[in-house]
Amino acid sequence: MQPILSFEQAPPISVPYRFFLTAPLFGVIAGLLLAWYGAEAMSSRWSPAALALTHLLAVDVMLQVMCGALLQFVAVVAGANIWRPHLVASVVHPMITAGAVFLAAAFVLGLPILFLLAGAVFALGIGFFLTVMMLALWRTPARGMTVHVLRLAVFGLLVTLLLGITLAGILGLQTSALPLLLLINVHVAWGLGGWALMLVIGVSYLVVPMFQLTPAYPEWLTRALPFGLLLVLCLWSLQLFSPADEAQAWQVQVAEAGMLLAGLYAIVTLILQYQRRRRQTDVTLILWRVAMLSLLAFSASWLLFEASPQFGSHARAPLWLGVLVFPGAFLSVIIGMLYKIVPFLNWLHLQRLGEPATMPNMKQMMPEGAVRWQMRLHISALALLLMAVLWPAWALPAGLAFAASCLLLEWNLLGAVWLYCRVRDRAVKDRAVKDQIRAVGQDHET
Amino acid sequence: MPESRIIDGREMVPPEPLEKTLEALDSLAPGEELTVLLHCEPHPLYSILNKNGYRYSARFLADGTNEIRISKR
Repeated sequence: MQPILSFEQAPPISVPYRFFLTAPLFGVIAGLLLAWYGAEAMSSRWSPAALALTHLLAVDVMLQVMCGALLQFVAVVAGANIWRPHLVASVVHPMITAGAVFLAAAFVLGLPILFLLAGAVFALGIGFFLTVMMLALWRTPARGMTVHVLRLAVFGLLVTLLLGITLAGILGLQTSALPLLLLINVHVAWGLGGWALMLVIGVSYLVVPMFQLTPAYPEWLTRALPFGLLLVLCLWSLQLFSPADEAQAWQVQVAEAGMLLAGLYAIVTLILQYQRRRRQTDVTLILWRVAMLSLLAFSASWLLFEASPQFGSHARAPLWLGVLVFPGAFLSVIIGMLYKIVPFLNWLHLQRLGEPATMPNMKQMMPEGAVRWQMRLHISALALLLMAVLWPAWALPAGLAFAASCLLLEWNLLGAVWLYCRVRDRAVKDRAVKDQIRAVGQDHET
Repeated sequence: MPESRIIDGREMVPPEPLEKTLEALDSLAPGEELTVLLHCEPHPLYSILNKNGYRYSARFLADGTNEIRISKR
């Protein structure tokens, strides 16, 4: 059955755009931070700079865009009523932004009070977002796997948040009452698998066939993937109750099953894209492919590191995985989707203002050349980041390339927003002139 | 028989079929028919047609194509 898209429910355009325009700026900051710290940031996943960078990417770039997109997507795809979207965005957006800045600063400066501040701001901001989103997804009459998977993703974010707040509390209060490493293991798994990957899976069921003109995902897989992932995450979380200070052997096997599921999803998506009906290749399709190849490489590397401890025990092995999954898999999907969502939202909102024939079409919303250059820069930055894991001296060019890629993304998005504002103002002015002429005509008649 | 124009949106990426259909509706003469071929149920288009004085009929063909015939009310 085809999904029902309900454009009447779309929130004001400023709701998603404030999130979309903020995210790349923090990508620039993350890139510059990497360039500044250089090889030191690439020494281990526990280096303060690596921890700060991870949270800048995960929260101020990824979560920022995902929240903005979800406010739009849930309303349009699930036909769900978001409670006062303008108010929600006005509260959640600054809180996510501030929370991630506090957290990154806490890691870099080593100030415990900042962990507590970040935890409190996230609890309020993301907690508010989750409450609104859960109510909307709970009440929607829409059915279908995409809606079910979105609910699971929102639950995944809730678990990630609760574990994150606990970790911020431990670091802020400098207590060792709880098993820190086990909490981190479970926090990372829920953030990456339960929230980010779950959201990408749910969204892909709709957008891959729709925008890339591929066959639909096999029905058995649409059920097996999210529920399999949920089972893996629940079993993995049992290590929190283990007396030992590390994951048990059977839990490692559970994690391997999770990696196989992620790899299977990537392979099926690549096969569907190969079978697409229109052979034309656009930027979004290329970025989705980069993302799926990165996800596949992430799963394969994880399994290789488990099988070969001489690789897996290396201090930089987790950084390799981190680069593949954050900028490689998730950021590539996010950038690819922004290049579809922003022109589409511009077009949708402008259609409502005036004569459709006088409005720019989708292709005129963003210059294709600049979009392609940004994509090339992103892929180059990804390659340099992987090189920097192998040879940490490459961290400087990798950081600068990543910053440049995010800056060009910001420029492209700003260009589309500027075009929207210009056309909107013109349409409003035209309408006012027409109303005035009509009023003068009526005066003459009377 | 009314005159008919066809938009084959099956190989187009959304919202291109909707864009092209709205453009064609602007110049649709009374008695003229517009046929749109898609692989999906375009609920946003149905809502636009209902609100703007068009009549339409939709039927799925054996190959999964949704054939939508539009004319002025």
